[in-house]
Amino acid sequence: MNSQRIGEIIESSTTRFTAGAYELLAAPPFGSLVRAVTRSEGLAVYGLVYEIRTGSREPGGRAVVRGRTYSGRELYDEEIYAENPDLAEVLQTEFSALTVGFAEGEALYQYLPPQPPPVHYSVYACDADELLRFSAKNDFFRAVLFATHIPGDELLAAAIRTVAQARPDRHDYLVRAGRDLAGLLKDDHDRLVALLHRIRP
Amino acid sequence: MGLDLAALSRQVRELSGAAVHTAAGAARRATLARERYLAAAGEERHWAQAVDLSRDTASWLLARPVERLDTARDLPACPPAYAVVATDGSQIDLDRHGSVACYLINIGQVFIRYGQRPTARLGSQPALYYREEDLYVSDGARRVAIEGNYLSARRDVEEGLALADLAETSLDGTLPALALQDGTLVRWTLAGAERFVQERFLGQYLGYLERMRARGIPTASYISRPRSPEVVGAIRLLFCPDVDVAAGRGARCAECSDARAGREPSCALCQGLVDADVLGPRLAEGQRGPLFVSMSTINIERYGPHCIHFFHLRVGREVCRVEIPAWVACVPEQVDLVHALVYDQCLRGGGYPVALARAHEQAVIRAADRRAFARMLEGSLARAEAASAVSAKRESKEFSRL
Repeated sequence: MNSQRIGEIIESSTTRFTAGAYELLAAPPFGSLVRAVTRSEGLAVYGLVYEIRTGSREPGGRAVVRGRTYSGRELYDEEIYAENPDLAEVLQTEFSALTVGFAEGEALYQYLPPQPPPVHYSVYACDADELLRFSAKNDFFRAVLFATHIPGDELLAAAIRTVAQARPDRHDYLVRAGRDLAGLLKDDHDRLVALLHRIRP
Repeated sequence: MGLDLAALSRQVRELSGAAVHTAAGAARRATLARERYLAAAGEERHWAQAVDLSRDTASWLLARPVERLDTARDLPACPPAYAVVATDGSQIDLDRHGSVACYLINIGQVFIRYGQRPTARLGSQPALYYREEDLYVSDGARRVAIEGNYLSARRDVEEGLALADLAETSLDGTLPALALQDGTLVRWTLAGAERFVQERFLGQYLGYLERMRARGIPTASYISRPRSPEVVGAIRLLFCPDVDVAAGRGARCAECSDARAGREPSCALCQGLVDADVLGPRLAEGQRGPLFVSMSTINIERYGPHCIHFFHLRVGREVCRVEIPAWVACVPEQVDLVHALVYDQCLRGGGYPVALARAHEQAVIRAADRRAFARMLEGSLARAEAASAVSAKRESKEFSRL
């Protein structure tokens, strides 16, 4: 569990947390698993990244277009950042994660932790090993599908694809995931089909 | 009931009408003043003498020309890589009605490097002042409270010292560099101050300029939409019937011969004009006007090797004023560098130097922060069980009696 520190919690609650990325525009991908540390030694909270946004650090601040300079020079994409190094200091990339479980010592639980990760504590990207361990069970599917105010189906599909990429038993895993989804969505055929389309190998 | 907007709107309409009328008249007079000014190009030495002769007896501000009056220097090439440092400050003034005597100065600090290795560092540093020596300047017998204008002077000093610290830690001398401040480098607010107050603040301020000079860091300040009439003051001399350089006579407004003869003074044409009105229309995009020395008493008598010079610069629809100390002004390459870098900063900032805009953003204390600070202060005083009470006036303003 020595993966790279990518951000710091700036908002935290029992069900979700938001982190500021240390590097502008470098947030973990949508649907990826991240781990936030807590005040208790050995207790780490897992979340699935469901939203990434970049904007002004100042409340209410908005970016202005900069691709065409006053002198008529055209600047493209990365050039704009290179020409305006101060941008990296006034813009911030943030990502929010839905809490899907926690680790306590060696044990993994796919339900909500006793405490959310504290503000200003570190967030790490999970490596393939960690992803493998976390995806041994699919109990967290339900929490993602029925979470409010987030694109839950898209998020779960993205998470399943990400996990499948990391697992050697990719095909078996997808079949298992599909079966669990069918169980959860037995009353909503259309939604199930749409989801299965999104994870089809 | 606050402002009666209905009663106000009629006055606002009258004001708009008057403003249009005034602007038309001012533009016509500015053209006449400019023509007279340009006709004197080549006679700078003569008029510099006239300025020196009139310094004590003219009743208006003056600027002494250093370059040809018709100078319009094109924008020099901007170095591909450079570094800029800037500071700006804001304050919460002493609240006489508050519960404890203190003030706060917040200094925004900016370092930006352009070119091969672009980077930026922005930050701010608040400082709370509450000790006797922070609240008063004293020479033993007398003491003067640091508030209002004097607090602004103290803030200017703090901005300067912070800029010197920032320059010393951030600029390693490998790249062309510029240290930039907002507003003027001439500390006008101290001009009328008591001597010991002036000594204290001006001493520290000139100390900061000396540190910049010792490290050879071009230092400049930027004034957006300048309203100063110093060059216009020199143009008044061109119209003055009393100036006679050969006879060693400058303008003496107290003995104005026009006024004695019952005429309107010849220089009345210049009334209300500012330097930018006269110099601005001559400058094309990126061009700068001639260098002048500001002849304000405090600059001439106290600044010594740091004597403040200035030039005007065209940036889009605006003509700004850039001030530099003598040790920058006397090296043409440094003037060119300041010219090029200030202009580049304006381009990147959409008309205003980006380093200053960022420094301001860092320094600004918003209304919410002011309230948070006031609450923090009251809470802390209460917890410390310090005797504290706001004035009856403040209390009545915060809660209306129903």
